[in-house]
Amino acid sequence: MCLFLAKVGFYMTEQIDKALAREYEAGFVSDVESETFEPGLDESVIQRISEMKGEPEWMLEWRLSAFREWLKMEEPDWALVDYPKIDFQAISYYSAPKSMKDKPKSLDEVDPELLRTYEKLGIPLIEQQMLAGIAVDAVFDSVSVVTTFRDKLEEAGVIFCPISEAIKKHPELVKKYIGSVVPKKDNYYAALNCAVFTDGSFVYIPKGTRCPMELSTYFRINEQNTGQFERTLIIADEGSHVSYLEGCTAPQRDENQLHAAVVELVAMDNAEIKYSTVQNWYPGDENGKGGIYNFVTKRGICHTSAKISWTQVETGSAVTWKYPSCILKGDNSVGEFYSVALTRGRQQADTGTKMIHIGKNTKSTIIAKGISAGKSNGSYRGLVRMNPGADGARNFTQCDSLLIGDQCGAHTFPYVESRNPSAIIEHEATTSKVSDEQMFLCRQRGLDPEKAVSMIVNGFCKEVFKELPMEFAVEAGKLLEISLEGSVG
Amino acid sequence: MSEWLESAITRAQDVNDWLAPKRANAVELLSNTNWPTRKTEAWRYTPLRSVERSNAKVITDVIGLSPVEVTGLSAIELVFVNGKYDASQLSKILPEGLSISLGQDLEGVQKAEALDVFSTIKPERHLFGLVNDALAQDVIVISVTEGVEITQPIRISSLLSQGAESHTRVQVSLAEGSRLTVIEDVQASGDTLNTAFVEYDIAKKAHLEHYRFALQTGSNVAIGGSHFNLRDHASMHSTIVAFGSDLSRLDTDIIHAGEFADAKLNAMYLLDGKELFDLHATVEHAMPNGTTEENVRCIVADHARAVFNGRIHIHRDAQKTLAELNNRNLLMSNTAEINTKPELEIYADDVRCAHGATVAQIDKQALYYLQTRGVSRSKAQVMLNFGFINELIDLMPNAALAEWIRPVIRERFAQMEVN
Repeated sequence: MCLFLAKVGFYMTEQIDKALAREYEAGFVSDVESETFEPGLDESVIQRISEMKGEPEWMLEWRLSAFREWLKMEEPDWALVDYPKIDFQAISYYSAPKSMKDKPKSLDEVDPELLRTYEKLGIPLIEQQMLAGIAVDAVFDSVSVVTTFRDKLEEAGVIFCPISEAIKKHPELVKKYIGSVVPKKDNYYAALNCAVFTDGSFVYIPKGTRCPMELSTYFRINEQNTGQFERTLIIADEGSHVSYLEGCTAPQRDENQLHAAVVELVAMDNAEIKYSTVQNWYPGDENGKGGIYNFVTKRGICHTSAKISWTQVETGSAVTWKYPSCILKGDNSVGEFYSVALTRGRQQADTGTKMIHIGKNTKSTIIAKGISAGKSNGSYRGLVRMNPGADGARNFTQCDSLLIGDQCGAHTFPYVESRNPSAIIEHEATTSKVSDEQMFLCRQRGLDPEKAVSMIVNGFCKEVFKELPMEFAVEAGKLLEISLEGSVG
Repeated sequence: MSEWLESAITRAQDVNDWLAPKRANAVELLSNTNWPTRKTEAWRYTPLRSVERSNAKVITDVIGLSPVEVTGLSAIELVFVNGKYDASQLSKILPEGLSISLGQDLEGVQKAEALDVFSTIKPERHLFGLVNDALAQDVIVISVTEGVEITQPIRISSLLSQGAESHTRVQVSLAEGSRLTVIEDVQASGDTLNTAFVEYDIAKKAHLEHYRFALQTGSNVAIGGSHFNLRDHASMHSTIVAFGSDLSRLDTDIIHAGEFADAKLNAMYLLDGKELFDLHATVEHAMPNGTTEENVRCIVADHARAVFNGRIHIHRDAQKTLAELNNRNLLMSNTAEINTKPELEIYADDVRCAHGATVAQIDKQALYYLQTRGVSRSKAQVMLNFGFINELIDLMPNAALAEWIRPVIRERFAQMEVN
């Protein structure tokens, strides 16, 4: 048996190398003619962004005040990530495909090269070809390329459009809610985003409406030396329901690129928002060269009996700094966070959630699964806070980490704060590796090592995958499988 | 920087003794340290206002104080009064293989060794550890020779009279295969400020049984640390019992510097009034095959605040480590607060580590059950609280100490205001 295990071990080492050398499939560059700002950031750049977008005066003022705050703030350094200092003057803050200047009225007018890009990525924008009936908003660098199924959504009263369009068409909604969940001064990257955000999605679901289809935004960074700063705002009015999916990729480049997004969710009384992310930004090569810095602020507010559920599968980015959170303000509201974070090569991920219990009988569930391979580091960082008014509140947290190889790290930093005796908090965390015994058991039953690992890892992540919408669950499972092909030591 | 720290640095510069090089180093580090604020991670939940406001002064007058009696303990008493070592309270005849001396009285090689070890086990990051390096009045050095088992426990008592400031320091070394029991205790009578640090070097196959009591309450500032270095096959069993005060802070560091070391730490704290107690427990697994088991339980009543930070750090080489941390908290009032943060930082893959933390109140059904059997609500609460803590008391290896602490805790519960 020893010899057998040794042999399996050897085979696995080989497999690790293979898996770690895996190429990033979305790493191509599209040859699209673009209009890109010169690198640099000052008030005039913000004015130009605002002008390009044809924004009203109040929006520009809002951006500028955020920029002034940002100048006074300091980059956070508490996360367990290590990267060279970012030169914010070396980034271009706006890039758009030239053909977008006169916005295409229909898909026929969209640059075919752009459509090919999305086709290559497996995101069909041609409505007729879509099987699943998911409405897609595709954001290419700084602008939204196309939003599908708009008519059908309009029938139901659902607004689903680029946020730049919403600022013009629905200023009363945007003005009321933008910055209401993530304030301008919230943190360094959020403030920067407020100042320079270029596009993103806007969703409004009217009272009592169940959104007739899944909504999806697909983000693609294409241009070099640009940063992507998108902003998403989702408002689910009383008693409504929406499921929203987000995906992202970027070309393979040697330079690091910055992605600093802000997502705000507002769930009014009895509303429910389900937000799912499959994050697959370019992670850099095996030596840590290149890759996206993913510094994202995501937060939702739940009013009475509302529910927000975050599900994320994080496999990309060189550095991830991301904490999708819920403010459980209303009584009986519910927050959920399901996460799988996979790091390999030299990736670093510091991710988790915050659950702030304010209302009575609020409930939160946190299931975080971290898988670290290669020379990567994955951290869970979370906060559960029970405020004095959170009578009968309940939290359950489970953080499990799986280590693959002896050069990686897995860390857990949970903050638990309680100021209410009737609130109950449970937190548990474990760290282990795929054991030789588990492998042996699977091999005994005739599974090859690759299948065995895939099965064990899939089982490890099952609780999270079952929360994903079908199409995403399949994509996430595949993504994980490719990333981990047989990589067990 | 705060005035208090500045004055501490100034005072330290006047001291010139055998520890001069170490003190100079501490002073230099302190001069470059920012005074903690809410944004300083190690002091996030523990404001240092009461240090800044403290009027405690070093008292040089000779005051006669003696430690509390513990029936059946028959310990070797090592007493500091207001920071000054009181040699008269130490028994004249020590068991064979045990030596206890004032650092400055050591000679030749022994002195050089003691100086070498000083402040090497206690990590530099502890702000008040540095203050203690710089200001410790008398430093006591305890050592046990190879293979010797000292059956009589050593009790280190730091006694403070009203308004006193003291800084006490002890270093303990256990040679290969030796065994020793050490009890650390601080007793303060009000408006005092003290730092009390002890460093333990536990050699191959040696065993340390350790207790730390921090039962001072009221307007005292009590900051301290117990730091342990475990070599190959060394083991330790530590029990911490604490109440809160204006500010009570304890830092423990357990370093697995050898293979197959075993550490057990049981800590319990019971807070009432406006007390604050903060325990930062760090375990560093630097070598393979180590085991750690930590149990931390806390009950917080009234306006009290409890802080716990339990960090387990598994280094790259520490394969086959087993480490577990269990933290359970009971919150008894609407105005009390619990902040807990169990941390895992893991760089080795073939390990098994887990931590769990819970915060809740006493089970209402259990309370109801006792009430239906004619036990008053307040009595039932005391019984259940006591049961929660008693599970850890039962694990104390020293029977005399367990017998002594039980009624002390029972009385504490009776005082705690029940909401």
